[in-house]
Amino acid sequence: MVATLAPAPVKADASEKRPPRRRRLGRDRSRAAWLMLAPAAIHLVWWIGFPVLATFVLAFTHYDVLAGTVSWAGLDNFREIFADEVWNLSIWHTVVYTFFTVPVSMAIAVVLAVLLNAKLRARAWYRAAIFMPHVTATVAIALVWMWMFEPNIGLFNALLAMVGVAGPAWLSDPSWAMSAVIAVGVWKGIGVKMLIYLAALQGLPGELYEAADIDGASGPRKFWSVTLPLLRPATFFVFVVSMIDAFQVFDQVYVLTPQGGPANSTTVMTYEIYRTAFSEFRISTACAQSLVLFGFLLVLTLISRRLTGRDEDVN
Amino acid sequence: MSTEILTVQAAAAPPPQATPRRRRRTPGQLAGRTALHLLLATGAVVMAVPFVWMMISSLKSHADISAYPPRLLPTEWVWSNYPEALAFAPFGTYFRNSFFIAVGHTVINVALATMAGYALARLPFKGRTVVFMGVLAMMMIPTYTKIVPQYLIAKSMPFFGGNDYLGRGGYGWLDSWWALIIPGALTPFAIFLFRQFYLSLPRELEEAARIDGLGEFGIFARIMTPLVKPAVATVALLTFEHSWNNFLWPLLVTTRDELRVIQVGLAAFQQAERTEWAYLMAGSTLATVPMIMLFLFTQRYFVQGFATVGIK
Repeated sequence: MVATLAPAPVKADASEKRPPRRRRLGRDRSRAAWLMLAPAAIHLVWWIGFPVLATFVLAFTHYDVLAGTVSWAGLDNFREIFADEVWNLSIWHTVVYTFFTVPVSMAIAVVLAVLLNAKLRARAWYRAAIFMPHVTATVAIALVWMWMFEPNIGLFNALLAMVGVAGPAWLSDPSWAMSAVIAVGVWKGIGVKMLIYLAALQGLPGELYEAADIDGASGPRKFWSVTLPLLRPATFFVFVVSMIDAFQVFDQVYVLTPQGGPANSTTVMTYEIYRTAFSEFRISTACAQSLVLFGFLLVLTLISRRLTGRDEDVN
Repeated sequence: MSTEILTVQAAAAPPPQATPRRRRRTPGQLAGRTALHLLLATGAVVMAVPFVWMMISSLKSHADISAYPPRLLPTEWVWSNYPEALAFAPFGTYFRNSFFIAVGHTVINVALATMAGYALARLPFKGRTVVFMGVLAMMMIPTYTKIVPQYLIAKSMPFFGGNDYLGRGGYGWLDSWWALIIPGALTPFAIFLFRQFYLSLPRELEEAARIDGLGEFGIFARIMTPLVKPAVATVALLTFEHSWNNFLWPLLVTTRDELRVIQVGLAAFQQAERTEWAYLMAGSTLATVPMIMLFLFTQRYFVQGFATVGIK
């Protein structure tokens, strides 16, 4: 990508000094470019550009869907949402969900990736099994977890009963519902993190390991002293990407604990936006909420760009 | 998706070396390798438990599934749960809808994004940098920053669903194939990925084709695109997977059973029939098995895609 970003030899503004054929070529290519771009550009402006602008505008207005009236609201919508206890609770839940799912599944993912990095028979099968939760639909798989969490005849409580523990009513108990959602999040998140780690591991220099071998380092020792420090850039990357993803968790929360969960104990920011916009039809309020979420994600993205030095890569 | 932007680096990096780091094998390491296999097998089994339990449960009789304590294996394998589930709820229709939409998204995304990616990579024109920056910016936009107005736009599409020319009075695209297929059909990420792949092709090919008298579109369609087939495969698979598994948008824009997709249908079925676990597991199996099969047969492209894409 770096190569093409070097100024192209054919440049539009220098074309006057060129023979006519070159100039015509430049015009042809420019026209072809716009023709090929047009469908995508129209689609993106219509379905992304315009909606984003609208979100920003609507967040600062009172928009009545039924009457179709719009009036300026200033910061009213933001005052309203931060006065709403459930919304503040949902921010807290989002943070809790992220705080627990991301590090746990990262830790499991890095260990699995290191183990899988050896030349092994059946490696592809292990990798497939670990990665499978990521490719299958969250809704379908959340229903399976729901069935396993079933308090009376579900798998988990049956296993717990075998060791003499009476399991809780996982998803309908306010003090356990979030843990159950987090467990599903951890399980689902391992695969993709493992893949990124695997890709990073394959780029690591072999010499350090040879040196460690000569020094007689054990496997765990090499993992702590060689692999983990070398993986630090990948770890930052995975960390921020996973945080951004975890902040937008919706499907599994919606399915596992409908209506925000028992006593709103699992409601997250995305669910509140959904509820405000599509069951209460308070459009402007929902837009203000989505801007708050956007603020969180923007900060995370900026941090990640800082950490990964992404800007230089793009340009 | 905001996460997509973070993947730039990975996508731009040279393809990872095909061969992993080799370890010298000594007899002493044999025990270690056995332990390694044991560890990995345990991990893989733990990850697979929900899938296995889903399939086993989908074949249990009514008595087996409500037995306490639950039996590991059914006393009789009730294959008829599948036809019964299909008769109980229109899973067949849901399945067809999901498939139709996923194919539509895949075709449109590949067609439009290859063209746009090619233009951004290989055709010089004024404002190219600005357009590319725009695509990057759109990649960063999270779903929730656009979904509410997207819904309003779909609802007030002029001349559709009883709307007047200003988009008032009716339901617009809601409850229609339009809303299910068009808004989600193109992803900026696909454009970005194709651009990266087109950039890596040598300039000489393009020039030779031009000397042979091929037009710009011909060069794109007949010379360059066949060379980025792996990218096409990756984008097609990721689009199909994403579309098949999509939940929120179809949930918002459809209310009628005939237009429901499989994920929304499953969630609705669960909320209506809380105790029909065998049917529900049969439905979930039907919803997940196609993706599992697709993944197993095309693992290489998925892995490549996800490794370069990061998340989503």
